[in-house]
Amino acid sequence: MKKLMIALASATVLFASSAIAQEKLKIGAAPYGLNAEFMQIWSAALEEHPAVKSGEVELTVFDGRYDALVQQEQFNTMITQKFNAIIFVPIDIEAGATAVQAAADAGIPVVGSNTRVNSDLLAAYVGSDDTISGYMEAKAVLDKIGCKGNVVIIEGPIGQSAQISRLEGNQKALAECPDVKVLEQQTANWSRAEAQTLMENWLTSHPGQINGVIGQNDEMALGAVEAIKSAGLKTSDFAIAGIDGITDALTAVKEGTITSILQDARAQAQGALDLAILHARKGDYKPQSDIWAQYPDMPFNDGKDKEYNVPWTPVTADNVDKLLEMRK
Amino acid sequence: MSSIENKSSSSWLNSDRRRLILQEYGIFLAFLLLVGILALSNEFFLTPGNISNVLLQTSINGVLAIGMTFVILTRGIDLSVGSVVALAGMVSASFVTSSATAGIAGAPYPMVVALAAGILVGVCCGALVGFIVSRFSVPAFVATLGMLSAARGATLIYGGGKPVPALSPDFRWIGTGNILGIPMPVILLAVVFAGSWWVLTRTRFGRYIYAVGGNPHAAKTSGLNVTRIRFLVYVISGALSGLAGMILSARTGSALPQAGIAYELDAIAAVVIGGTSLSGGVGRVTGTLIGALIIGVMNNGLDLMGIQSYYQQVLKGALIVGAVMLDQKRNQGG
Repeated sequence: MKKLMIALASATVLFASSAIAQEKLKIGAAPYGLNAEFMQIWSAALEEHPAVKSGEVELTVFDGRYDALVQQEQFNTMITQKFNAIIFVPIDIEAGATAVQAAADAGIPVVGSNTRVNSDLLAAYVGSDDTISGYMEAKAVLDKIGCKGNVVIIEGPIGQSAQISRLEGNQKALAECPDVKVLEQQTANWSRAEAQTLMENWLTSHPGQINGVIGQNDEMALGAVEAIKSAGLKTSDFAIAGIDGITDALTAVKEGTITSILQDARAQAQGALDLAILHARKGDYKPQSDIWAQYPDMPFNDGKDKEYNVPWTPVTADNVDKLLEMRK
Repeated sequence: MSSIENKSSSSWLNSDRRRLILQEYGIFLAFLLLVGILALSNEFFLTPGNISNVLLQTSINGVLAIGMTFVILTRGIDLSVGSVVALAGMVSASFVTSSATAGIAGAPYPMVVALAAGILVGVCCGALVGFIVSRFSVPAFVATLGMLSAARGATLIYGGGKPVPALSPDFRWIGTGNILGIPMPVILLAVVFAGSWWVLTRTRFGRYIYAVGGNPHAAKTSGLNVTRIRFLVYVISGALSGLAGMILSARTGSALPQAGIAYELDAIAAVVIGGTSLSGGVGRVTGTLIGALIIGVMNNGLDLMGIQSYYQQVLKGALIVGAVMLDQKRNQGG
């Protein structure tokens, strides 16, 4: 912190602040992969950040292709090209640490976003706590079935950090309803098609017994919806919830078939970029994104915090139209 | 188990005849055995609703595996089917979506337009691969590996990486509708199976496929157009991948860019379990259908019993290797 203050002071003394502002910053973003909707919204939000639009920041997005080694090599590329800061969304909590270390050795600040990395060298982290969303979605299902009856849990790939944390949240909510029985609990690997098959088979083996479906993401919750429909049952007889707030899920919320908890990719991306600019400019920066005004519970605090927790937003009939409008 | 039953019931036959029967019906007996075990261990397994579910869950892999059979019979392999599923599913969906942003101009079009587009995409991918394999003698493994990557990339480019939601009800009927209570995907699988069975067993083209796979040099010297036959099997596999892609997006109600990942593995597994030899020239589409059913029944049965899906993967692996071991033994014996 002291170092930062000195750097800040010397920066203001040595340069006119306008001169710094004119110097273009090279910032790299390294998301783990761009094949799914969430990370696309995330990268699109980066491109729409005011500092990128004004040309103050030259942004390069690297597709990590779901491979820890690819991400590490992209870090080396950014280090050789002398990027001013890096925004990192690691595929793996442990494997990402080496990359962060390399950037830190080269004096490039790294800001984490969305997924965690086991390293204390991050300048800051902007993400959302998955245990909270796991709790919120399970609670939504349990409230709807009146804290009694039977539920099934469709899990993410076992061992992934989001699956572990969301399950922890699921179980916390379930502990509050001791009368609720978990009939089945299996992975569908975040996949809609796999969840559909799983749910079709469960509806067969537990006819008329399933009251609630806790899907650890929206894709799988939507797969369960399709299975219920194709079995000729009414989705209104089930309490179904997912997480993430993907566009298909927003539509389903509008139709009243599921509950979804929105993970704000835009806030995670733009928040991380504001912090990356701040650290690249050694503290001489005021955040430009409107997300700080949007979430008063997450104050920018002059960028001094190590961790920023973007709140989850339950998608409801009241806010769904506005959210769908933003996706266009 | 099946071999013992077979021996006792056909002891009046000589050993050659016995081996032939085992070869033809071994896989079928294994299937019946599996069904018997599952029926005894789960009360819901043989209910009409579940039988319909199993057939429904087998339909996509069944269609892909039948296409794969054509290719493998000529000593080839098609690793691109999963990616072609995603591409065809997405292109066809863009014709029938009512979403303002995801569709092409003028969507939604009638279902037949989307069907034609999806099949055409599959045919084009298959034709490109077939052309490369048959004209340039590029190994099928390499050519289709290239297509696996290229078609997935094309899917992401075409849809901007986003899903295509809100598909029209008439298109969704392909995946969710039924005729006389039989789900549409199952009917499509039956039609594909009947057509392929007819082509492979009753037409000259079918005999040529076996000839090319059995001994390409002999086929060539006896005047067969080996290049053309090799080309066409990839077109067939591509077209069926296109069809499977449309069934998938019609079932899930949305075309997803990450659809069909690793589907080629289940398709190859069904072919191999069904007794088609990877060295070409030997095998039948009936075996493939039963191979696909075995995979479908096993997944369904283990789900019904609440067994973790990881065990399903282990069992499937054992089944694939076991089937090939049996095949090798058969070949040595014969």
